[in-house]
Order: sequence, then structure tokens, then C-alpha cells
Amino acid sequence: MTPAVAKYVAFARVAAAQVRHERSDLAGRVLFFAVILGVFSSLWRAAVDAGLPVGADSKQLLWYLAITEWITLSTPQIHLDIQDTIRRGDVIYRLGRPASFVLAELAAGLGLLAVRLPVLGLAAVGCAAWFTGWVPPLTALAIVVPIGIAAAVMLTALHVWIGLLAFWLQDVSPVYWVCQKLLFVLGGMMLPLQLYPELVQRLAALTPCPVLLAAPASFVLGSPAMAPRTLIVRLALWSGAIALGMRWTFRRAAADLMINGG
Amino acid sequence: MNRNSLVFARSLLATNVKAALALRGALATQVALMALNNLTFFVFWWALMARVPVIRGWRLGDVQLLFGLVAAAFGLTVALAGGVRQLGRFIEDGDLDTLLTQPRSVLVYALGMRSHPPGIGDVVSGAFLIATSGYLSLRSAPLLIVAIGASAVMFLATGVLFFSVAFWLGRVESIARQMWELLITFSLYPEPLFGGVLRLALFTILPAGFVGYLPAAVVRTPSLPHVCLLVGGAAAYLALAVAVFNRGLRRYASGSRFSTFG
Amino acid sequence: MQPAVQLNRVSKSFRVRRARGGGMTARARDLFRPLTETVQAIDSLSFSIAPGERVAFIGPNGAGKSTTLKVLAGILRPDAGEVRVLGFVPSDERRRLAFHIGTVFGQRSQLWYQLPPRDTFELLGRVYEIDRRQHRRRVEMLTTLFQLDALVDTPVRHLSLGERMRCEIAASLLHSPRLLFLDEPTIGLDVSAKAAIRDLLQTESERERVTLLLTSHDTGDIERVCTRVIVITHGRLLWDGPVAALRSAVIGNRALDEAPLDEVIRALYADGARRRCAP
Repeated sequence: MTPAVAKYVAFARVAAAQVRHERSDLAGRVLFFAVILGVFSSLWRAAVDAGLPVGADSKQLLWYLAITEWITLSTPQIHLDIQDTIRRGDVIYRLGRPASFVLAELAAGLGLLAVRLPVLGLAAVGCAAWFTGWVPPLTALAIVVPIGIAAAVMLTALHVWIGLLAFWLQDVSPVYWVCQKLLFVLGGMMLPLQLYPELVQRLAALTPCPVLLAAPASFVLGSPAMAPRTLIVRLALWSGAIALGMRWTFRRAAADLMINGG
Repeated sequence: MNRNSLVFARSLLATNVKAALALRGALATQVALMALNNLTFFVFWWALMARVPVIRGWRLGDVQLLFGLVAAAFGLTVALAGGVRQLGRFIEDGDLDTLLTQPRSVLVYALGMRSHPPGIGDVVSGAFLIATSGYLSLRSAPLLIVAIGASAVMFLATGVLFFSVAFWLGRVESIARQMWELLITFSLYPEPLFGGVLRLALFTILPAGFVGYLPAAVVRTPSLPHVCLLVGGAAAYLALAVAVFNRGLRRYASGSRFSTFG
Repeated sequence: MQPAVQLNRVSKSFRVRRARGGGMTARARDLFRPLTETVQAIDSLSFSIAPGERVAFIGPNGAGKSTTLKVLAGILRPDAGEVRVLGFVPSDERRRLAFHIGTVFGQRSQLWYQLPPRDTFELLGRVYEIDRRQHRRRVEMLTTLFQLDALVDTPVRHLSLGERMRCEIAASLLHSPRLLFLDEPTIGLDVSAKAAIRDLLQTESERERVTLLLTSHDTGDIERVCTRVIVITHGRLLWDGPVAALRSAVIGNRALDEAPLDEVIRALYADGARRRCAP
């Protein structure tokens, strides 16, 4: 491991260690997971009874939700940490150090993911199996897991990007909430995209949202949204776009900072 | 409660409003974004019910009413008594000391000392959803006021109850907050989705029934017993919350607090 | 004349839970069968303060200063002994006492951050039930005395620390308290701001006969503002007398007549520690 990489691994390790101390937070997430899956298992059964037209039964729909929730619940709210760092002025010290601020924050986010993904993954499988009494074919899960992890990483990067907006905005939380809700809709978090109106589906195709949630989770439905290879390529392309976007934003922020001072 | 207490409470509220308005542009943005956040989330229900108009006897209008009531009530609580969100931290950090040196009710002061302006966005989106639910009319208006008021009181009471546990157990802020958020989650879903045992829990320990279901029932199918149960229940919870807080405050004054030093 | 503050053999101990340490079993045991130990924060403390006196209340960290202040303010109930503040029993008559005491915390602000100090003054007028006209006159008077004309309508977040402290002290005097508790009032201030605050405290206290009880680690505060010093360590009274006599308090063969005051105080604390350890 080169010193350059080792430095970021260290950031990740520290963040991961922190999560282990916030056990109650993780337990809370698991509990929330169980509650949401419980409520929706009831909802899907009721909806399917009432004649929901979808190429999937209520069991598959619940597993679908379990996967989308797994991805979203595991992703850390790193935008808040970044906002704190910027607000407190600590960012000045960070800029002076030989580590890219953005990469360091991303590494910290990945450290948090490394703890949450397995724990919540187990919760996902456990709760979904409990409420449906069914498990999807292992081939499907074998695809979902790595792609889900990749999606979570990309989502973390998006959160870092939102955090960077704290350079200009007083409070980035409302931005985060709106983006999250947009993700829920355009990423088909609770309801598979094909059930939304045409307009919404077309809008979604213009965003990275389907690639983050709907597509990976769709592998447990009867018919996946797209072939694994296509999905991986799309993920890679969107990741590239996000990376470029972050770099540009950060450059602007650093430039602003240098002009306006602390 | 005497005249001076009311004067104080009114002055506290006025100061809160002034502080929120002092943010001006930022306030408007936060309010708009919060409203957008709620409405975007509701798109899920709108899309689902476009496909399946009736689920267990509930139509889109019913879900809108429920969601709108809960949102408006929650927004009202955190906008006017925003200190409830930080009550756990106030207790743990010893911030109540400053309040104890002043000749006013510690609870009222602690609650009114902070305001969460995005709550106004919740109220706005809630009002919009109610207005377009088909349940807004001259006849239903007083019922709506009672429903929202009682639900807001319930939010306040449960928040105070959960966070007051900090007087006895110390660092429970995270768990208490998650319980409180769980309450909100449960109250947003139509009650026919919940089975018998859960329903009992939802009217006692995690009283989402008094926060969402019962207020909505009062508006959908008005009946005197319903109204009495709602108002009585909310009043009882509030009385319990105040009693628990005051008991905890006496314990605080005896100085036995949880502290760790190894 | 009735003393402003009177403590008679006051004691206060805390039952503190001690964590067994990390690890799952240890934490589980902590939850069900916690280890408690008793910490004696104040031990048979007695002193009395006359109205109008300006007293510095000092001691090393953990000496029991803030516990004592909390007992005096009625925030904590003592285990033993008698306390009378302005004729009230604090823990029983907290609210009535509250109308007559004021507090200034150096590290915590009672001014609302987003608003100008005037708005906080307005709220405090309601808190302390001050008659409107009297309140207005009082605000005007304090604004002039403390030179706050330019500051009182500026949002607190735009004020410097020194300006903010002047407003904090004005706020604490709005309801004409007879006793003022100050906890590190000059912390973080530059030299001229410190001097300004100290002057204000001294003149106000003399003018309105306000009793001051001040805790501070800054010896300048002690020397410039106060006339008397009470030193406590380990919850016990170590020394009580005029500031001027503090130097002669130190026993031992150290020549401290010319030493700066904090040297003297440090020696005093060390003495106190030694005396406590001695059988």
C-alpha cells in the first residue's frame, strides 16, 4: 500500500471505529428497518389483494424494498459531518494538510459503510425472510450484493457532494432531504419504477437514481430492469460524472475561500 | 398557570418568531424545501393509489388527510416548541442550570427556547394536502383544528416523555430520538395495516394511534366519543409528560446523575 | 444586618456511577448492577457574605465551586447544613429567590444569537415580571452606563466577545438583583475588554449595592474586582479573608511577598492538598 493510499485507509478506519461506538444508532437503524419492512409487507399484501398490476407478487416486492432500504439506510449522512467541519472553520486546517479534503471525507464515508452494509444486510435478509417466508434465488442475491455495494458507494459520494454545498449554504439539510425524497421517487425506492406514470419514468432516466436503487433491487423481481453488465457500465459512467462534479465544486469552494478568507 | 406565565409564554413565542424571521431568505428557502420534501415523498402514495384506488377501505383522500394532519401537527410542534428536539441534550449537558436560576417554568422555557423553522414547511405542505384531500369544508374546519391541535400536543407530550428518560438513564438521547422518529413513521401509515397486538402498542407505549389514526378518524367519521377520546387522551399524555419531567427535575436537583469516569 | 449569603456546615455528596470498562459483559453488568461510589463534593462548608461585598470564590478544578454555587442558586439540594440566600432557603424557595439573583456565565450566553440584545432584554423583562415603564427606563440607564448604544440593536452574532459580555452583564442586571453570580466573566477577553468589564462590575456593585460572588481563574479579576477571597479545596474551606492578606496566607518557607498572585494561589492549593493528605 502506498503512503498516499494508506492515509485514506486511515481516515476510513477511524470512521469505522466511531460507528462501533455508536451502537445504539445502528440498533435504531435495524429496528427502523424491521418496522418499515413489517408495515410494507402488510401494505403490499393489501395492495396486491386490491388488484395491484405488477409483474411481481407481494413477496418479491418486499424483498425489493429490503434491498433499496439496505442501500439507503447504510449510507452515512456524511453531509452533516462535512457541514460541521466547514462551519467550525476546521476546514482551513484540513486544506493545509497534504490530503485531499474530498477524498478524505469520502474515505470516512466508506469506513462507515464498511460497518453498516454487513449489519444492515443481515437485517435485510433476516427481516425480509421472516415477513415473506421466502428467499429469492441465490443467483439473484449474488448479483445484488456487489452491485448494491457499488451503488451505496456512489450514493455516499453524492452525500459528500451535498456536504460541499455548506461552503455557500447556511444549512444543507433541507437540500439533503429533498434530494433524498427525489431519490425515493425517481429511484423507485418503495414502488418499482414501472408503476409510476410515464412522465416520472422518463424523468428518472435522466438521473442516476434508477441506477442507484431500482436497477440493483430489480434483480429479485421477476424481470430485472437491465442486464448486469449494462448496469455496471451505467454505474461507472454516473460515478465518473459525479466525481467530476465534486472536483469542480470543490475547486470553486477553495477558490472562494482563498478570496474571501476564513 | 397564572397571568404572568401566559405573558411569559407569549413573549417567548414572540422572541422565537423574531429569531426565525431574522434569518429571512434562509428561512424562506428552508420552509420551501421542507414543503417540497414532504410533497415529493407523497408522490409514492399518489402513484400507488392511481393504480389501486382503494386499499383496505382507504382512498387517496384519506391518506392525504392522515399525512397532512401528521405533517401539520409535527410542524406546529417543532416550530413553536422546538426545544423538545434538544431536550435530551439539554438534560445531559446540564443546560437546564441556567433556566433553573430564572423564575419561570423550566419546561416551558426549555421547549420555547428553540424553534425549528423548517417546521413551517411541514405545516404548509400538511395544509396543502388536507386542502386537496376533499375533507376541507366549513363543517370539518373546527374538527380539523381539534385534530391538528391534539396531534401536536401528542407529539410534544411523547417527545417530553421520551427525552425525560435522560434524567434517570443519562445518555439516551440517541435512542429517545429514534423512538420519537419511529412514532412519526408509524403515524403516517393507515391503521388497517396493523394487526391486533401492534395496534394496542400503538395506542399506549408508542402512541402513534393518538397522533395519526384517531385525529384522522375524528375528521373522517366525526363522533362525540372519538373527539372525547382524542382530546382526553392528548390531555392525559401531556399531564403524564409534565409530571415525569418535573419528577426528573427534582432528581436533577438532587444531583445524582449518571456520569462515567473510569 | 442580615447577611446576603449564609452557609452553615453545608455538605453535598453525589452518588456517581463508575463504568466498569469496555466490553459487552462489563456494559451489561453496568446496566443491571451499576457500581456506585460516593463523591463528597462539599464537606461541612461554612461562610457568610454581607450585602454589597465582592467575593472571589476560587479553588482548583474539582474543588466544589460550581456545586456550591448551584446549592446557593437552589439548583441543588444539600444533604446537610443550612443555607440562606437573601433570607430565602434556596432549594425550597427557588422561584422566589430567582427574582433577586442574577447569573453571568462566561461560557454560556443568555442572549439570543440571531437577535439584537434589545430583544433579549425585552424577553427578560417578561421573565422577571418587570413593569413596562420601569423596564424601559432601566434598559436606557444600563445602555448609557455600559455604553451599549451602538450595540443594543445589532444582532449578537455580529458582536465581538467583549461587546457581548458587556451586554450579558447588562442583561443580568435588568431586574435589579441583589446578588450576582459570575462564572468566569472575563474568559477569552483581551486586556482592554477585561479592564472594561472589571470596572463595570466594581462600579455597578458599589452603586446599587449588589453582592458579587465571582469564580475565576484569572487573578486580575480577583485583584481588581473583589475585596475578599474564599478558597476551597476538596469541598472544604481552605482560606477566607481580604485579598490583600492572601499573600500571608501561604505557610512555608517560600518567599512570596513579591511573587505574582497566581504563584501565591498555586502555593495555597498545594498547601491545601498537602494538609488534606496529612493524617
